[in-house]
Amino acid sequence: MSETTFMGVPRSRIDWSPRIDYARCNDCMECVKFCPHQVYEVREAATPKLIIKNPLNCVVFCRACAKTCGVDALSFPDKIQTTQRIKEIRKELEGQ
Amino acid sequence: MNPNPAYVILPCNGLDKAAGGVTREMALELAEQTGSEILCPVLYRVADARYNRLAGERPLLVLDGCATRCASKLAGEKGLKVAKKLNISEEAKQRGVELGESLRLDETGRALAKTLVAALLEADRVESASSTAATAFPEHFEYETYQKDKFLFRVPKSGFFFSENDFWVFVNGNRARVGMTDYLQQSLSDVLFFTPPPVGTAVEQFGEVGTIESAKAVMEVVSPVAGKVVAVNQALDTSPELINQTPYEQGWLVELELADFDQDRELLLDFAGYFPILKRKVDEFHAK
Repeated sequence: MSETTFMGVPRSRIDWSPRIDYARCNDCMECVKFCPHQVYEVREAATPKLIIKNPLNCVVFCRACAKTCGVDALSFPDKIQTTQRIKEIRKELEGQ
Repeated sequence: MNPNPAYVILPCNGLDKAAGGVTREMALELAEQTGSEILCPVLYRVADARYNRLAGERPLLVLDGCATRCASKLAGEKGLKVAKKLNISEEAKQRGVELGESLRLDETGRALAKTLVAALLEADRVESASSTAATAFPEHFEYETYQKDKFLFRVPKSGFFFSENDFWVFVNGNRARVGMTDYLQQSLSDVLFFTPPPVGTAVEQFGEVGTIESAKAVMEVVSPVAGKVVAVNQALDTSPELINQTPYEQGWLVELELADFDQDRELLLDFAGYFPILKRKVDEFHAK
């Protein structure tokens, strides 16, 4: 199967996925219930219980799960920097 | 005469976080200043006849304390049309206000409530004094369709550019309209509310220009282009369902004055580029 791309760039080269602030997270799991892309994993017996299992499944520029978080424990990379990085990688790939 | 509209206010009135207390304080303040009526969310759950009637008589203002959006969800369950809404935690963050852990309303909370009430009333005054005229855009387009089972997805064949996040942009001179594609509106299901950005907001490419709330989720509108917001679709205030019904025409979201479209264009797709991506997304979704 061919590798997933976003705007012509291999998805694996784009750093875009939620970061969990464990000091705030209260394990309500609203984000897990929301995300249809299996980005998160819940580990019942482990600490922390919630982890980012599949960061590359996360849709680049989507931050919808953060909008379900009542304690504001989710953050994402900077969009402007990410866009710049995508442009740089596209240039690199064009030159190859 | 009071220039401000009297609302029907649905605060979350939550006891789980400090922000819940701020919604209560705001509701009380607005009731005193404008003669607005307050809906008690707890009573509303068990006895709704009187409140349903009240909610139909005046514009509804929903005050959520946090992103759990209990008040918005209650309004959705009761089938109420929301005229305006505020999320206190987001407002606090934007204003650099740190609401403490204490559930009692303290000075910071009271001051924030006052500030937000004043800002809301000021916005109402400005809104009633001016209306942002949108530029004339074509109203009919020719579409290509892709069907999967009972679902039919439309994509306009020319004039539009798309982002891989399924938003579109239609450029007209140095202005552009932005909206969501047919595919995205169908994925979101019925749109209940569009929170537009303030007119004048500057946005970078892929920055946020408002949020869309459906029964399923709250989603930010990812702007396919950089620019300054010059108009918002005011028809969506009363008819957010236009986003579902005609996503490429009457369901447009915002109008921008473009910053540098040639540069933005690099990361956008035309019909020929977007249509195969749409088909792949539909096929993958249906294969699950």
